[in-house]
Amino acid sequence: MSGTRAEAITVYRETGTHRETFLRLDADGSLTAFNGHVDLGTGIETALAQIVAEELDLPLGQVRVVLGDTAHTPNQGPTIASETIQITAVPLRHGAAQIRAELVARAALRLNAPAGEIETIEGEARSANGSVTYGELVSGEAAALALDPGAPVKAPGDYRIVGRPVPRVDLPGKALGRHVYIHDVTVPGMVHGHVVRPPYHGREAGDFVGHSLLGYDEAAVSAMPGFIAVVREADFLAVVAEREDQARAIAEALPVDWRMPPDLPEMRSLADTIRCQPATARACDRSGDFARGIDECDLRAARTYVWPYHLHGSIGPSVSIADWNGGRPILWSGTQNPHMLRADLARLVDLAEEDIEIRRHQAAGCYGRNCADDVGADALLLARAVGRPVRVQLTRAQEHLWEPKGAAQVMDVEGGLLGGDLHAYSLDTWYPSNRATNLGLLLTRRVIAEPRPSDMGDRTIVPPYRIPHKAITVHDMAPIVRAAWMRGVSALPNTFAHESFVDEMAYEARQDPVDFRLRHLDDPRTRTLILRTAEEGGWEPRTAPRRRREGRMAYGQGFAYATYVHGTFPGTAAAAATWVCDVAVDMETGEVQLTRVFVGQDQGLVINPDGVRHQIHGNVNQTASRVLKEEVSFEEITVTPSSWATYPLATFEEVPRIETMLVERAEDPALGVGESAAVPAAAAIANAIFDATGVRMREAPFTPERMRAAMGIHRREDGRLQGSADHAPRLSGAMKPATWFGRLRSKGIGLAAVLGGTLSLGALALPIQRAIPPTSAPPASSFSAELLEKGRQVFAAGNCGDCHTAPGGAPNAGGLEIVTPYGTIHTTNLTPDPETGLGRWSLEAFERAMRHGISRDGTHLYPAFPYTSFSKMTDDDIFALYAYLQTLEPVARETARAEMVFPANLRPVNALWNALHHDSAPIERHPARGADWNRGRYLVEATGHCSACHSPRNLLGAEKTGKAALTGSLVKGWYAPAIAGDAASAFGWSEERYYAYLRTGLAEGFASASGPMADVVANLKALPDEDIRAMATYLASALPNVPEARLADPAAAARPMPDATHRIFESACATCHEPALASLATAATIPLSRSAAIRSPDDEALKTVIRQGIEAPLALAGRDMPGFAGELTEGQIADLAAYVRMRYAPASP
Amino acid sequence: MSLSVEFSVNGRSVAVGLDDPRRTLLDVLRNDLGLTGPKYGCGLAQCGSCTVLVDEAPARACVLRAAKAEGMRVVTLEGLADGEVPHPVQQAFVEETGAQCGYCLNGMIMTTIALLTENPDPSEAEIRSALRHNLCRCGTHREIVASVAKAARLMRESGTRGRGRI
Repeated sequence: MSGTRAEAITVYRETGTHRETFLRLDADGSLTAFNGHVDLGTGIETALAQIVAEELDLPLGQVRVVLGDTAHTPNQGPTIASETIQITAVPLRHGAAQIRAELVARAALRLNAPAGEIETIEGEARSANGSVTYGELVSGEAAALALDPGAPVKAPGDYRIVGRPVPRVDLPGKALGRHVYIHDVTVPGMVHGHVVRPPYHGREAGDFVGHSLLGYDEAAVSAMPGFIAVVREADFLAVVAEREDQARAIAEALPVDWRMPPDLPEMRSLADTIRCQPATARACDRSGDFARGIDECDLRAARTYVWPYHLHGSIGPSVSIADWNGGRPILWSGTQNPHMLRADLARLVDLAEEDIEIRRHQAAGCYGRNCADDVGADALLLARAVGRPVRVQLTRAQEHLWEPKGAAQVMDVEGGLLGGDLHAYSLDTWYPSNRATNLGLLLTRRVIAEPRPSDMGDRTIVPPYRIPHKAITVHDMAPIVRAAWMRGVSALPNTFAHESFVDEMAYEARQDPVDFRLRHLDDPRTRTLILRTAEEGGWEPRTAPRRRREGRMAYGQGFAYATYVHGTFPGTAAAAATWVCDVAVDMETGEVQLTRVFVGQDQGLVINPDGVRHQIHGNVNQTASRVLKEEVSFEEITVTPSSWATYPLATFEEVPRIETMLVERAEDPALGVGESAAVPAAAAIANAIFDATGVRMREAPFTPERMRAAMGIHRREDGRLQGSADHAPRLSGAMKPATWFGRLRSKGIGLAAVLGGTLSLGALALPIQRAIPPTSAPPASSFSAELLEKGRQVFAAGNCGDCHTAPGGAPNAGGLEIVTPYGTIHTTNLTPDPETGLGRWSLEAFERAMRHGISRDGTHLYPAFPYTSFSKMTDDDIFALYAYLQTLEPVARETARAEMVFPANLRPVNALWNALHHDSAPIERHPARGADWNRGRYLVEATGHCSACHSPRNLLGAEKTGKAALTGSLVKGWYAPAIAGDAASAFGWSEERYYAYLRTGLAEGFASASGPMADVVANLKALPDEDIRAMATYLASALPNVPEARLADPAAAARPMPDATHRIFESACATCHEPALASLATAATIPLSRSAAIRSPDDEALKTVIRQGIEAPLALAGRDMPGFAGELTEGQIADLAAYVRMRYAPASP
Repeated sequence: MSLSVEFSVNGRSVAVGLDDPRRTLLDVLRNDLGLTGPKYGCGLAQCGSCTVLVDEAPARACVLRAAKAEGMRVVTLEGLADGEVPHPVQQAFVEETGAQCGYCLNGMIMTTIALLTENPDPSEAEIRSALRHNLCRCGTHREIVASVAKAARLMRESGTRGRGRI
């Protein structure tokens, strides 16, 4: 395809091994340009098309740009350092000029006119003798032109296409949903892989890398639907399945045994940790004599600036597809570096580079390195293993944890003034980053995971100012966690140091910061940029921080300038950018709002002014987010952020107003603009904060916590703002109710003592009950249809199926584990299987079990089986249930033995328990109440056994009765709230709300059934309306006349101090619980201030919901909530629970 | 447990067999129905890339199980255009270059349609607020806000309501 066609004019370059084509003009007049770089979402495709269309005088619509496919494009290295326009576009411009010259020569012959009189316009060659299209000129005569780097090109003054705003060519397809991103590619026969990464998330060096997988249990998952294979090579582990969801389910179910890695260094004191790593000092500038110069200064200062780890944070987690293709693999990839990736893959699977073809598709923007290359290795290994094309989609967590981070950086500066001028300046910069070896190579041990230093810490390392004595040093070092270049690379942190320090020196010299900079600059082009930016950006000269205040807000303006220098030191200059920015600082919370950014930029020739402005806007918004909010956190062994919850980005409400000024320099070469406007960001914002507050921020990000610490604002003990409205009462132990699974756990020893003492008195006196001999149950046909229907309703009302079905197990065959403080019980098999179920139970045996908790063989059942309620059932209902159970599908399933702690493991103790707690008297009808009420009471107290969950229990695990009945309890980590007594009234329950809730699972705006109760309500669908109404009537009748409690108003009440937990809430919870659009169909249905879990007596129930989420039964209208156990640490969950309770239920205990 | 759900997608009725009731609508749309306009971004309703409309309301398809879509009218990015004529919101995003990489664009467009259904003439502050739970990493916020403002104008001028024609 890329070679010379019969009818085409091409431009090529010989590389020694093969011929690379840059341009091809076909006989239909269309031009294809090949560039080895890729479009990282910046619209570079459009700018390249403009460049070749300009040189060739072709309509833009006749130009197609092919980016990054290894089979077709030249190897021009990775798409980094904003080089595409500045460097890799150059051959395209020259080649296009060559083709134009060839066309002019041909037209001269065809039109019989001197070449000098041929004009090329819009794909045609014209002369006084007529015109001919390019297509006609190509027809019948192929030509291959060797690229001539000296070919004459157009004068910029003649440009008609370059320099004009041109709409992006890829956008219409993207807006219509037709653009095929790498995520959208499908290949015939494709199956799906899902990787299982090691526990050393984000680490790449150490002898544990590639040596930590101890084993896995394939047999445990090989029967799962869609299973194809588990593939392992050293620490590379993945599953392959027919479908994407199946691959993920299998991977998550696969039992894997990993060796735990050693701890990371202490990452909280980042600067010390980084400085302590092995490093090699490299001198970059030793002008003058720094030691002498600094001694001569009349004012000296030493400062340290710290930059955090960042995520590139592609919005789409990486994807790749590989087809082994009989040993000549094809990889579909969103890589930033097609040719580099191809070399890595060749090494991974022992092939020659030429045997591998990479087809590049656009991916989500990456701003440096993301996991696109890693996932390519994953897909290729899997495709080779299973012999089918395999697509691998990384999860958000995998992308977050494993992407090579934007590196942290430490800058130590020392410098000083002599007579008001900069006289000496030293900078030592530590940049723990490299080029991020492909993860597949490391996991499979193809590459040894040893520390690999690199040399990219020196970008813009030399300050632009005239300073007589300089000592500029970069400390080249290996990464601590996996890291690679990110937008602005080391130039952004280096400039943070330069431009903060220079700003500080200006004020020390009592000079305006802009004047001070200009006094130290000689380059006229730089001076022009700074002067014009200050003027047009509304710079307000000053010689001291102004500390402008209005109420609690302080306002300030900052300035910074940088030329982004990229490539190997001393490097090449890209565009120069200057910021004037305004901030508003909340002096009580420490929040910094960046309100306006004015960017002046000098990029030489502008190819597409719209494209340049969009790059500036993107740089400003993204970098402001990095400077103000972003920071990768760490645990002992790994990086931690695994979703946006713990790595929030700036939102639409936080991004600044942006103004731009492009300096017109049509005669100067085009300079890269992909990163330049990012580089001054941190210093400009820090300088603005200084103007507003007089406080110097030297460690990013400038979070409210850091600002408060710097400004000396101390948070109160309860985490609220000084002077905020309400005051939450502290949790009080005395106010917590007894719970099965909370409080009792801590009382285990006392309980054993109590039971032990009782046991010695009388346990042996209580015999095991007699066995009732097995008999064949009556045949199903002997029961009437009405009886069975009644039995079905009793079964549903009793919620029997939920407890007697194990997760993923056969319905009603038992096996659900019930963990109690006394041990673990397994529910029994209710199906009529003769050996393991109820098939040989007589009605008499069944009734005894229901009423007295005694099994057919005479042993006592544990009171987790709610016979204390069932004993109140009518004979008719028990018979109907018995009949119904005998018609279930029989399933052979042995019930596992209970594993109880002493002395509860002695079944006779149950008999004692019964003697103390079990009242088997049936419910007596209340003659003064209506039939409805009596029916409701029966359903609530007998069949429905509501008290089993909703009544608190005493120390021996018995339900409390009387006034304490149904007043709320914690069950399996879920809170079963009060449905009787003052608390239920205060909560707002009413007959209508009970009815709606029990009937549909949702009392509009009030309560939604979730957790175990959602299953109960789903089962209640089997009951007629009258029964539901009856339950509501009964429950409501018992409500005391207590007014509904006032709800917390989170907007008016306690405003939480902005901190990390607040940000978790805003990015992970608010999307559904405080939705931006009220109509959001996946939003929560109940306000958080209504939530029973949040208003429950302690944090436990809320933490359960946060961990597990909510899976609403399909039978109900309820909505799901994702669980966060995998995204948040236990500490974060606890903090979040406390935060939510303080914000939405401050009046709760 | 296998079940079948029926719903309409972009005006067409579909029946999907679900051998696993946990499958998300996003997964079914992309993998079973070939509708790749909605994108997987986070799986936790945090970024908005997967937004679709169900019964005219915006929904984050990554946390909505397909089984829950029974009987609903689902509209994806692909279902907005009238043949080759883009929906005014799509047109506005193209004209104002409301995307860089464009991965979040689906969520921005679908959320904009929902916003303009509720509020046909939003202020800039209202636009920013309505999009505050849609993440854009390229920093295209300014162009996106301009696109929404233009979309509102185009829709008012053309008399389009909501998602329009379907």
